[in-house]
Amino acid sequence: MKRKSLFIHCLVLIALIAVLPLSMVQADGHCEFAEDTVKIGGLVPLSAPGAVAGGIAMSWAINRAADDINADCGITIDGANHAIEIVIGDSEGSPERGQAVVERFILEDEVDAVTGVYHSAVGLATMSMLDENGVPTVFSEPWNDNVSANGIMEYDGRPPRNADGVDHVFRVSPASSMVGGVVVNWLIDLGVGNVVIIAENTDYGQPAAADEYARFEAAGATVTQINVELGTEDFVPILSRIQASAETPDVVRVLVTGETSFNLTQQMAELGIAPTEDTICVTNQVAFQSEQYWQNVPDGNYCAFNRVGIIPSLFSDTAVELNDAYFEEFEDIVPSYAMASYDAVFILADAIERAGSTSDGAAISAAIETTDLDLSQGRYYFEYGNHNPELPEGTPAFMWHQWPDPVVTMMQYFEQGQSSLDAAVIYPAVYQTHGTDYITPGSSP
Amino acid sequence: MMALFRRFETAIDNGIGRRRLSYLLIALIIAFFLWFPNDTSQSNYAKTVFISGFFYAIMSSSWALLAGIAGQFSFGHMAFMGIGAYVAGLIARDGITFALLGINITPESISAIGSIIIGTIAAGAVGLVIGWLLLRLRAAYLALFTIAFSELFRIMMLTEYDYTGGSNGLSLRPLLQIADVNVARQVEYYLMFALLIVCLLGLYWVANSPIGLFLRAMREDEDAASALGVNVVRYKILVFVFTSMIVGCAGAIFYSDVGSERIIPEQLEILQMSLIIAYAVIGGMESLIGAAAGAFISRYLLEAMRQVVITLPFGMTTADGSDAFVWDTGFWRFALFGVVMVFTLRYMRNGLLYPIITWFSGRDIAMKETVAIRESDDEHAARLETDDE
Repeated sequence: MKRKSLFIHCLVLIALIAVLPLSMVQADGHCEFAEDTVKIGGLVPLSAPGAVAGGIAMSWAINRAADDINADCGITIDGANHAIEIVIGDSEGSPERGQAVVERFILEDEVDAVTGVYHSAVGLATMSMLDENGVPTVFSEPWNDNVSANGIMEYDGRPPRNADGVDHVFRVSPASSMVGGVVVNWLIDLGVGNVVIIAENTDYGQPAAADEYARFEAAGATVTQINVELGTEDFVPILSRIQASAETPDVVRVLVTGETSFNLTQQMAELGIAPTEDTICVTNQVAFQSEQYWQNVPDGNYCAFNRVGIIPSLFSDTAVELNDAYFEEFEDIVPSYAMASYDAVFILADAIERAGSTSDGAAISAAIETTDLDLSQGRYYFEYGNHNPELPEGTPAFMWHQWPDPVVTMMQYFEQGQSSLDAAVIYPAVYQTHGTDYITPGSSP
Repeated sequence: MMALFRRFETAIDNGIGRRRLSYLLIALIIAFFLWFPNDTSQSNYAKTVFISGFFYAIMSSSWALLAGIAGQFSFGHMAFMGIGAYVAGLIARDGITFALLGINITPESISAIGSIIIGTIAAGAVGLVIGWLLLRLRAAYLALFTIAFSELFRIMMLTEYDYTGGSNGLSLRPLLQIADVNVARQVEYYLMFALLIVCLLGLYWVANSPIGLFLRAMREDEDAASALGVNVVRYKILVFVFTSMIVGCAGAIFYSDVGSERIIPEQLEILQMSLIIAYAVIGGMESLIGAAAGAFISRYLLEAMRQVVITLPFGMTTADGSDAFVWDTGFWRFALFGVVMVFTLRYMRNGLLYPIITWFSGRDIAMKETVAIRESDDEHAARLETDDE
């Protein structure tokens, strides 16, 4: 009996192995594809020490974009449809591995274009190789200012590798300086004069604090900075110092990430420091994950936070579709880097089609410079590049090949337990959803 | 099958002899590595993978001397590598002034080679201090101390972002300025390979000299070695300084745009250190060549396994018309690596390459006394199990 059962199991297994690949064979209903595909490399972190969760989301978005484009008959060159083929490479968040993967993309996989990149260090390490090899590239997440721009000619004081500047590397994520400015500009517009910054002692918290400190000071505000360790659970001693100070702060700015930011914000609210009528609470952007936020910060109503990426209330149809698909896969709201990765593939596909070539990197990059596309995050274009090479005085170098309009907004909860989808967008004015730039605690917009 | 192997073994012993065969094999391996970059069918990517393999082979073999032969189970190896690389990068960028000695080194006055030398010396100097601090620490305490030191250094590099670039990394001055990328990669390949050979020769010289004997004696029983006249303090510090300088130099060269154009603090994480240990364990902790080979082969396989391509049988194709499944293994390759590691630790504690190297060398690569201790441990464990039953 046992032997018979084993035999049947084996038969079923063999049948499954044989049928599984066959079931995947399907003729496309309406598209005739040429034999040669357009290869796009996706450089994302899929193992430690990289940010694996981010890499998985980006990889998913890149593949999703290719599927959507292929469902629409791919890229048309000289009347023939070419399917997009995605080649994903794991950067491990390491410049060394990133460089090796890019080399593989170029020499072994022979990709026609590249997108992705989560960590700035990987972007900085790979951009010269991509540029020197003439590979059209659209980075979708690194924030470091030097990643875009002809900054390669000046970064770290090194001599330029490519005397002509960067011709082939573009970026659709914001530069760090674009993000830091929004919070400070909003608070300065509100007229704050006494600022307390609580920053974590990491390379996220410290540079961000230094940047905001300088901006506040330049605007004439008095700033006190308190550094905390990531992972601290009891902030009462630190918060007591704020309470004991002679002057009540106008704002407490939290530059602490993850669970620690939740702890800090909750304890700040419990002690009655902020948010109050006198003191604005600006917590970390992780507050956008509303379910976790309210579980950990039940007293955090009226706290404001910044959000990078388009806000749900402004989602276009494309963004809604992408968000729904993402939610189905990951049960979460689509993050900005996944949207940017999705859009980057469309930008590359559009440029390849307009260039009429998969192999002419210069023509494709020139086509990217003249991009004008409405995608999930909004309208994409590149203001400065070889088509418009003169950056006006005062325009930072990172605006070269930089999408100028990544959405960075200030949002604010005004009802306890509110979903971030319903939270008010208060800054900048162009995105305001409730007609106000700040909701005072106790009031409603 | 076994009889056939025995016949082969007898033929070798009666003919060329195992020792000579091993020399021949080493010569062939070196010849292969010297020829490899000239193979026009190989792309620069393959050379990059080999360069990385050489670097990790240096890391692993030097750790094998420190832990496998000297018995100093240190987790600070990556930190010493980082010290070499960071010091070289910072000196080349900012220069340095030794006020007491009246020496002022400006970025303009120092070459990439000069900065690498200073980085190497700095790693050795820190190795000296750490070695001295570790004099009274053994086993778990030594491991914990070096973990703490390693993390301290990593956090410093991460948080002092104004100087070190934080997680954006520090870009070192390129060692080679060769415009032709193909020539550059070839030179980088030979440079790293030469460095590996020099390091292995140096490590072998130490391991097979009287110093090596003292180190092994210290590993087996520090008190007994001391009682028999081994200057434990001197040799403990010496081995730390020596291995720190080797990895400091390797790090400074590798990150001077030979293997990578920048170093990041994440490279110094404990996870990366545990990979070095894993390479050495798989190759054989007590064999320098085993550890080096373990590291090289592991790096190569980890790279090769990034993407597994399964060709479909019977002319079948996938939905996109391809005749092969492509599986991006991502972190699964590390899981597989973990399985190999577990297998090695359970069944082949002298490393997977141990039987091969032992056969060729005609002697145990793990010293007899260590094997005896392990066997007695096993017997002891077996006795305990029997008693329990």
